[in-house]
Amino acid sequence: MEKPLVFELFGLKFDLVGIVGSTLMALAVLFICIWLSRKVEMKPNKKQNVLEYLLDFTNGIVKDNVSDEAAQKHLSLYAFVLFMFIWFMNQLGLFLEVKVGENMLIKSPTADPVTTMSFAMMTLLLSFTFGVQRFGAGGYLKNYSAPVGFLLPVNIIEEFTNFLTLSLRLYGNIYAGEVLLTLIGNNLAPSLGIPTLILAAPLAMIWQGFSVFIGSIQAYVFVTLSMVYIGKKVTKE
Amino acid sequence: MTFNILFAASDIYLGNTIWYLITFAILMLLVKHYAWGPVSEMMEKRRQKVIEDLDSAADARKKAEILANEREAALKNSRQEATKILSDAKENAQKTSTEIVTAANTEAVSIRKKAEAEAKVAKSKALEDARQEVANISVAIAEKVIAKNLSAEDQKDLVDQFIKGLND
Repeated sequence: MEKPLVFELFGLKFDLVGIVGSTLMALAVLFICIWLSRKVEMKPNKKQNVLEYLLDFTNGIVKDNVSDEAAQKHLSLYAFVLFMFIWFMNQLGLFLEVKVGENMLIKSPTADPVTTMSFAMMTLLLSFTFGVQRFGAGGYLKNYSAPVGFLLPVNIIEEFTNFLTLSLRLYGNIYAGEVLLTLIGNNLAPSLGIPTLILAAPLAMIWQGFSVFIGSIQAYVFVTLSMVYIGKKVTKE
Repeated sequence: MTFNILFAASDIYLGNTIWYLITFAILMLLVKHYAWGPVSEMMEKRRQKVIEDLDSAADARKKAEILANEREAALKNSRQEATKILSDAKENAQKTSTEIVTAANTEAVSIRKKAEAEAKVAKSKALEDARQEVANISVAIAEKVIAKNLSAEDQKDLVDQFIKGLND
C-alpha cells in the first residue's frame, strides 16, 4: 500500500494526490468543454454535436428523476459538470499513476473515500437546499415523518445510508480497479520474468478496458443516484 | 488502512474536501460561462425554432388546403356558370326564334285580313257604284223611253242590252 502524501496547511490536512488529480481533471474538463463549444451555432457542427449529446444525456438523467421543473434547470448544469468531472477522475488512474519514491503523486482521486464523500456530501447538501427551497424549513422537516410518523427514524437513517452508499460505491469500484491494475502491473508481471511479463500485458489491457467501462458506469450511477436523492426531496410523497 | 481513513478523525484530510468544493464550484462557473450556457441557450433556441417552423408549416399547409378548396369551388362554380350561360343562350335563342315566327305569323294573318277586308270593301263599293250606275241608266232609259215611245220589243231589247252591258 502506498503512503499518501499529506501535508498540513491552516490546521487542515491536505492530500496531494487528490488535489493534483482533481485539479488536473478539472482543467481537462474545462478545456474540453471550451474546445467543444468554441463555435456555437444554430446548425451544430461536429464538436458542438458531441457537447450537445453529452448535455442531452445528463439532462435525460435529470429529467427522469426530478419532476420539479424549476429544479431541473439548475440541476442540468450540476449533473453535467458532476458527470464530466467524476468520469475524468475515474479514468485518470487508468493511464497515469505517478509515484515519487514511496509516495503516490497522481492516481484517480475517486479511489479515495474522502473524495467520493466530498462529492456525496455536496449532493446531500444540495438536496437539503432544494428541499428547503421547495417546502420551506418547516415543511422540509415535516417530510421526514412522511408518509407516516413511525418512519421518522428510518427516514433519518436513510440520509446517512444514502450518503455512505453513494460515496463508498464509487470509491470501492474505482479503488478495486486500481488495486487490481497495480497487482497485475507490479506483482504479477515481474514475478517470474519474461513469461509473466507477456501474460500480464494483455491482462492489464483487458482490465483497463473494463475499468474504463466501470468508471463510466459509476459516473453515470453517481449522477443518477444524486438526482434520485434530490428528486425525492423536491416531490411531495 | 481504509478503516483508519474512514473512522479516525485525525487522519481525514478535510482540506481536500474544501479543495474539491472550491474546484468544483469554479469549474461549474467556468463551464457554465463557456460551454453549458451558450450551448443550452442554443439548444433552447433551436427547440423554439423547430416549434415555430412546425407551426408555420402547419399554417402553410392549412392555407394551401383552403386555397385548393377555394380553387376547386371556383372551378366548379365556373363550370356551372358556363353550363348555365350555355343553357340560357339556348333558351333565349329558342324563345327569340319562337317569338319571331309568332310575330311573322301574326303579321301575315293581319296582312291577309287587311287584304280581305280591303277586297270586301272594294267589292261592295263596286257593287254600290254599279247599283248607282244602274239606277242612273234606268233613269236615262226611262227618259229615253218616255221621249221616244217604244215598243215592248224595244223595251225588252233595251233592258237586255243594258244587262249585257252590265255584265261586261
